[in-house]
Amino acid sequence: MRDQPGVLEESPPKREVRLTQLARGARGRVSGADLDGDDAALLRAMGLKPNAEFEVCRLGRTCIIALSSACGGGCRLGLTRELAEAVRVRA
Amino acid sequence: MRTQSPPRTDPDAPPAERRVVLLGNPNVGKTSLVNRLCGSRHRVSNFPGTTQEASLGRARIGDGEALVLDLPGVYALDLNVSESSVCRAVLAGHLAPEGIAPRTPDVVMVVLDATNMLRNLALLGEVSRLAVPTVVVVNQLDEARRRGIHIDTERLGDAVGCPVAGVSAKTGEGLGELASLAARACTPNVAAPEGRDAVEAWAEEVYAVIAAPRSTPLRDRVTDRLDQAFNHPVLGVIAFVAVMTGLFWVVFGLAAYPMEWIDLLFAWLGGAVEAIVPEGAVRDLLSEGVVAGIGGTVIFLPQIALLFLLIALLESTGYLARAAFVVDRLMRPFGLSGHAFVPLLSAHACALPGIMACRAIPDRRDRLATILVAPFMSCTARIPVYVLLTVILFPESPALQAVGFTGCYVVGALAGLVSAIVARRTLLRGRSRPMALEFPPYRVPDVGHALRVTLDRSMVFLRKAGTVILGISIVLWWLGSYPHAGPSPEGDALRAQAVEVAPERAETLRIEAETLDARYAARRSFLGQIGETIQPVFEPLGYDRQLTIGVLASFAAREVFVTTMAVQVAGSEDVEDEGVMRAMATATRDDGRFVFTRAASWSLLVYYILAMQCLPTLVVTAREAGGWKWAGLQLAWMSGLAYLSAMAVYRVAILMGAG
Repeated sequence: MRDQPGVLEESPPKREVRLTQLARGARGRVSGADLDGDDAALLRAMGLKPNAEFEVCRLGRTCIIALSSACGGGCRLGLTRELAEAVRVRA
Repeated sequence: MRTQSPPRTDPDAPPAERRVVLLGNPNVGKTSLVNRLCGSRHRVSNFPGTTQEASLGRARIGDGEALVLDLPGVYALDLNVSESSVCRAVLAGHLAPEGIAPRTPDVVMVVLDATNMLRNLALLGEVSRLAVPTVVVVNQLDEARRRGIHIDTERLGDAVGCPVAGVSAKTGEGLGELASLAARACTPNVAAPEGRDAVEAWAEEVYAVIAAPRSTPLRDRVTDRLDQAFNHPVLGVIAFVAVMTGLFWVVFGLAAYPMEWIDLLFAWLGGAVEAIVPEGAVRDLLSEGVVAGIGGTVIFLPQIALLFLLIALLESTGYLARAAFVVDRLMRPFGLSGHAFVPLLSAHACALPGIMACRAIPDRRDRLATILVAPFMSCTARIPVYVLLTVILFPESPALQAVGFTGCYVVGALAGLVSAIVARRTLLRGRSRPMALEFPPYRVPDVGHALRVTLDRSMVFLRKAGTVILGISIVLWWLGSYPHAGPSPEGDALRAQAVEVAPERAETLRIEAETLDARYAARRSFLGQIGETIQPVFEPLGYDRQLTIGVLASFAAREVFVTTMAVQVAGSEDVEDEGVMRAMATATRDDGRFVFTRAASWSLLVYYILAMQCLPTLVVTAREAGGWKWAGLQLAWMSGLAYLSAMAVYRVAILMGAG
């Protein structure tokens, strides 16, 4: 998954952190993921694409996020902590 | 994956049947749609050379009937996963399910989930570039409305330039119009640009035109709370154990009744054959080979069908995706992923459906490791052996019998997990793909759908396992029945005595003579001769000639051990008869010691927990893992482990004075 710098011009630049560094209930946008090609492509096709908006529903060994605008409605993804740690977000 | 050659065209052949394929993301309701379109007229079929399967059915499309093909759910066509490869090959006309010639589909029905439109539109964008006749089906409109999402299907039709139907497969809304729209499928006027970034941008543009989503996402507090509980480190495990305990209780408790009825039915059938067919080889083949062979397979069907039904029900509630993460945490240390959960669970009924369920494991190394260890799970075919040996080991204590019985399951599962570690650190070394799953919404289970899935899967089991097991049963029957030995000298002597004694004593002598004849025939049969030759191999495990024959006869199917032993030591196949069970427990070897000494019984128990005594499993492993080398490895590893462990247990038991 590639970064898309400059997508969020309307609001002041936000700090990029790992998904697992957010608190439960926090909202953010995906900025990228440090994963190999196949894993990154799968997550992106599942809706975890750059600039996708999400809300953290659960953190822990299983991380659950609710994608809203990315899916066009709302879908929940479960990620192992290992995957969630590789996802970079802006919040 | 291998693709098939395109069919030759015959100018005189009748026009080919119209072919409609359903394509969509996972969880968009394609299966429900196929059920609506085809009714009960559909079946499951494999794609050759792959581990993927499709539902095939027939439906009225326009003024004719069409073959409907439900493809595996995919998030995108360009992914490096098996599902995407299969869909690409089918759409290109290079692949079709077994029994059907591959060719390009006449209609591609792209099924979109109205509650997740943006992501689904990206897949539609990919299809639009293929320039194939397309019809778009926007499913789950009712659920979208409930969430405050409005989808304008007319605008979507204008945006992509092909027919669009808005439906709810759950309620039946819009389905009347779908068949006529499908008949008017056409190549989309608009094609999405090439490349993932461009396709996603195209999807966003289309979405902005067709959808009026809620400004804020709908908070679903019930889902939030359930997800918190089911994924909690402690509560999640407790919920998982509770669900699994309930599932096993139902499978083993409820299935006992239909199993008993099936047993009675086949006993009656065997008796009927014996009464109708004249005495001779044909009657023996039908009653002891065919009826007993089919009965031996069908008797496990209630447990397998109940397990399939409960798994399908659990799957439709949305719980299984959550449970997969709980299991993932438990299984990662052993080199298996949470995806292995359903296959290993199914393997407790029978290894065959367990191994077939491994198709859903996306990572190749995870899938192979799970296939290799699935037969360690204690299947129902082991139950008769466990019952016999625990009763012999703990004759006076039902409580200890229950503990021993449970212990067999635990030892089998532990052996499977340890074997998985070995496989992942040697042959299948490498990083597993970390788990990412979409959590479907929690739903009331669809019982009708679960029943249809159960019927389909049960028929697949019966067709695949039943034919193989039947063949094996007939071969075993022949090896165990020929050459005919005639009456034994000891039996003749008893019968001669019977002529000279009182009638009551004569009857006893004649029964003893028949028992001796049966043991003599078993010993003189091909199987008996093979057992005598091979017995030295099993000597270190404490098995005499008779136990060796039992082990050899059950190489193809474990449950055959009990009936083979009954025939040998008691001259009767009725193992339900307590007299026969007692006769087996007290039967003696040629040297006068019990056949089932305590040390030999412990050794046998360990052997049957660990050994690969199931030929159909090897056949299915070879097919699902992609070669006989994996089946050979599975056989060698399980047999070697079983042999060495049984020998060690025998030696320890002897040292502890259990000989």
